[in-house]
Amino acid sequence: MNRKTLWFFMLPGLLLYTGLFIYPALSGLFYSFTNWDGVSTSYDFVGISNYKDSFDSIVFRKAFFNNVKFMLTVVIIQTIVSLILALILAKNTRTRVFLRALYFFPAILSSVSVGLIWSFIYDPSLGLLNTALTSGGLEQFTASWTGDANIALYAIAFVQIWAHAGQMMIVFIAGLHAIPEELMEAARIDGATRFQIFRKVTWPLLAPSATIVVSYTTIQSFKAFDLIFVMTDGGPNYATEILTTYIYHLAFSNYSFGLASAGSMIFLVLLGLLTMAQFKALRRGGANG
Amino acid sequence: MKNMKMKSSLVLALTLLLTVFLSACGNSSDSSADGKVTISFLHWRGEDTQAFQKIIDQFETKNPNIKVDMQTLTSDQYQSTAQAKLTDGSVGDVFASFPGAQYAALSKAGLYTDLTNESFLKNYNADLIDVGAKDGKQWAVPYQLVYNQPIYNTEIFKKYNLTPPTDWDGFLKLCATLKQNGIIPIAFAGADIGPGQFMNTMVMNNEPSEDIFTKVEAGQAKLTDEFWVKTLTQFKELNDNGYFQENSLGTKDAAAGALFIQGKAAMLASGSYQLAQNAKQNPELKQALLAPITVSADQAKYEGVHTSTFMLGVNSRSKHPTEAKKFLEFLSQPDVASQYANETGQNVTLKDIKYDSPELNIAGDWADKKTLFQPRFTILNSENQKAVTNSIQAVLGGAAPEQAAQDAQAIIDQQIK
Amino acid sequence: MKWIGRIIMVLYALLVAAPLYFVMTSSFKTSQAFFANPLSWPNPWTIQNFVSIFDAQPMWQYFWNSARVTLSTVALDLFLGSLIAYAIIRLGGRMGRYTFVYFVAGLIIPSQVSMLPLYSLVRQLGWSDNLGALILVTAAGLLPLTVFTLTGFMEMLSKEMMEAGSIDGASEWKIYWRLILPLSGPSLAATAAFLFVMVWNDLLIPMLLINSTDKLTLPLALMQFRGEYVTDYTLLLTGVVITAVPMVILFIFLQRFFVTGMTAGSVKG
Repeated sequence: MNRKTLWFFMLPGLLLYTGLFIYPALSGLFYSFTNWDGVSTSYDFVGISNYKDSFDSIVFRKAFFNNVKFMLTVVIIQTIVSLILALILAKNTRTRVFLRALYFFPAILSSVSVGLIWSFIYDPSLGLLNTALTSGGLEQFTASWTGDANIALYAIAFVQIWAHAGQMMIVFIAGLHAIPEELMEAARIDGATRFQIFRKVTWPLLAPSATIVVSYTTIQSFKAFDLIFVMTDGGPNYATEILTTYIYHLAFSNYSFGLASAGSMIFLVLLGLLTMAQFKALRRGGANG
Repeated sequence: MKNMKMKSSLVLALTLLLTVFLSACGNSSDSSADGKVTISFLHWRGEDTQAFQKIIDQFETKNPNIKVDMQTLTSDQYQSTAQAKLTDGSVGDVFASFPGAQYAALSKAGLYTDLTNESFLKNYNADLIDVGAKDGKQWAVPYQLVYNQPIYNTEIFKKYNLTPPTDWDGFLKLCATLKQNGIIPIAFAGADIGPGQFMNTMVMNNEPSEDIFTKVEAGQAKLTDEFWVKTLTQFKELNDNGYFQENSLGTKDAAAGALFIQGKAAMLASGSYQLAQNAKQNPELKQALLAPITVSADQAKYEGVHTSTFMLGVNSRSKHPTEAKKFLEFLSQPDVASQYANETGQNVTLKDIKYDSPELNIAGDWADKKTLFQPRFTILNSENQKAVTNSIQAVLGGAAPEQAAQDAQAIIDQQIK
Repeated sequence: MKWIGRIIMVLYALLVAAPLYFVMTSSFKTSQAFFANPLSWPNPWTIQNFVSIFDAQPMWQYFWNSARVTLSTVALDLFLGSLIAYAIIRLGGRMGRYTFVYFVAGLIIPSQVSMLPLYSLVRQLGWSDNLGALILVTAAGLLPLTVFTLTGFMEMLSKEMMEAGSIDGASEWKIYWRLILPLSGPSLAATAAFLFVMVWNDLLIPMLLINSTDKLTLPLALMQFRGEYVTDYTLLLTGVVITAVPMVILFIFLQRFFVTGMTAGSVKG
């Protein structure tokens, strides 16, 4: 093994990644201690006041709780849905292979497209959903999907799940295929019920896939931006304002780049902690089976 | 050494990759080798590029040594990234900007060149370009003129024998009549532009002052004061009576427009900028503007709300300020501005303009009326602006006006400090 | 039990297909037909929407921009990423792990955090409004994901094979280029498919770096249509269809790579 050569291998990527990704992200840390407006050439250092203001801010707090709500909804429902779909479609029959592709399909669309499509569907007066409900005699279930402050966040969470559950299903299916058939067979011969097999054999062996699904979904839903940006831009009345949209608005519409940077740093720490905690919990869960 | 070979092949691979890039970069540089000066014109009206290109062609014919390179961003993008792009002077020798928060930030950063002594200013209607002046100097000239008040369908009004009312009772009665006849009185884009547009005419007579929101931002007035609580209460009144379409908070700009264009709604709470677009979609449509008067007729001070926007400025970091000013001067000629107005369907802030489409004349009729500069744009902090429009959404979502005003004021208090 | 599964299968298929059906059919309708009944089958079919969009917009230019950016970014990421993944595995031990963590840490950094500093950096370098810069920046941002998945894949190739190679006196470059890369073919393809989707659909970075109309990528163009065609639903939905077409074609032919790309991490466990 030639260590020098190996470092040489990494050099171009290391430079690119450090220069154009890590360095800008770290300069965010620097700006978080200033009052830079993002436009002027000068700024002053303001100590930790941006951090204090962020924690005090009513909107920041709202955004934080919305973030948590959105993330929990997506993580829980998307994981369950994709697991169920995977269990149903695990066998390699022709129909099932086709359906896998169909379920996966929304993941290849851009979030701008998905956001536009669902904005049309959710529109209260012309939209597909209310029209369909009305013509199906279910008029009492029509709603202002993205306009009602109590539903809007969940309506978008639903779209997020629509777009990504199929993708996560594929991960579970791969996990299921990795389980040796003999194990199942043995359990069946021992007279185990379907549910027992799932609990004692399938589920523990699926733990690695579940780890991937849960952690990927957590990061993805916590970082969500495009969909909300396209569909509601934080409204109505802050009901769908999450941390990323809040930060974006602060930096680019309110010219408070320093404050926005402080918000980003808090966001980063939260996400880091979350990921770590999750990995720990899932590792332990996985190990104990 | 074998390492040498390895390295050389790595270098080879990298070179290959670089070639891929360079081919990808391709056409970018603006060469000024032929003695031509290239200036960049940056704005957000993608829909106007054809009209502008014609004007630029005329300009280039008259000034053969200047080339104008037009770049447009979407208005979303423009509000978010334009200022960053302008700061190095490489784009936007001449650039457009929004009044209010963006103008304030850009002028604070010193990005505008002083235009006070330019002779072309006299071509403009002085009252309308006042918004681009500060400390007795003119920094930017707003080019477009918009009336931010509801559009109505004159055919529907005629059918039910209705005329634009002069007081609040009259407005409510008007809405009631429309609703009884199965027509949506007001198409309202509650999800995006609705609150920000409709609030202007709703508040203009409840507090007939030019600087009420300036006072709010300074802490000298509060949203919990009577004027705003009353405005919110009137919003609630319209909503509770069902004068907006159902579930208006979930309705976006496009959908509200569609309701109006199809004749399902009699009024559209947007602004004159929408007239031409509506006419394009439904050429049969007969439209006019009206503003709700929220007080009794004798107390009404203003008849409507206007905004001078698309504020053109010369970048103070421009390398070619003389050429940039020349282009701005060209745009400021009445015949050029008329050409722009007639091709794009946008009203302009200049004097002596000949409008040749009915839609432009609808707005042109308002030139002599007493209108207030858009109150929303006097809110310079965008967090505050959002708090204000969100209080309207809160009320439409069922909150009590007092509570909504209080919540919004709490956010504004945090911005004051 | 069996029929519950069947019902779920059908219902979910409908849930996925209905919105897609709606978009597809709408793009072949006139505005009037669309407003009359957004759910109906187009009657008559019209390709007017497609004609108008291609007439009014430099769509081919947008395609070409997106294609150039996407292909170059993916190629660059695969090359740099596979070198790094190989080095990480060969280095092993603490150094390997630290390098891995350094790259993977990038997965949790949201782009919003680095947006504005990134912009001023690009400007200082004189790279504004340049597709090449867009490629470099996008590639840098996706390198964490590439390294993460490729390391996962390569770990499955047997270490002994690499050891054997180096005992035979082959240089690291030779092992990488002649042995590991060919063996990683399927995993590279899978990662490529995954990256392809992300680059093709990216909104935020192009929005930040690109100014000129003739350099817009498709998602940016779509955002612009939204501003331009405010109430023209059918035209906007046609835009959605057109921008998705290349992805759909790719998906149909390279489905298996899309699917394995996703499972990269899970195999590693």
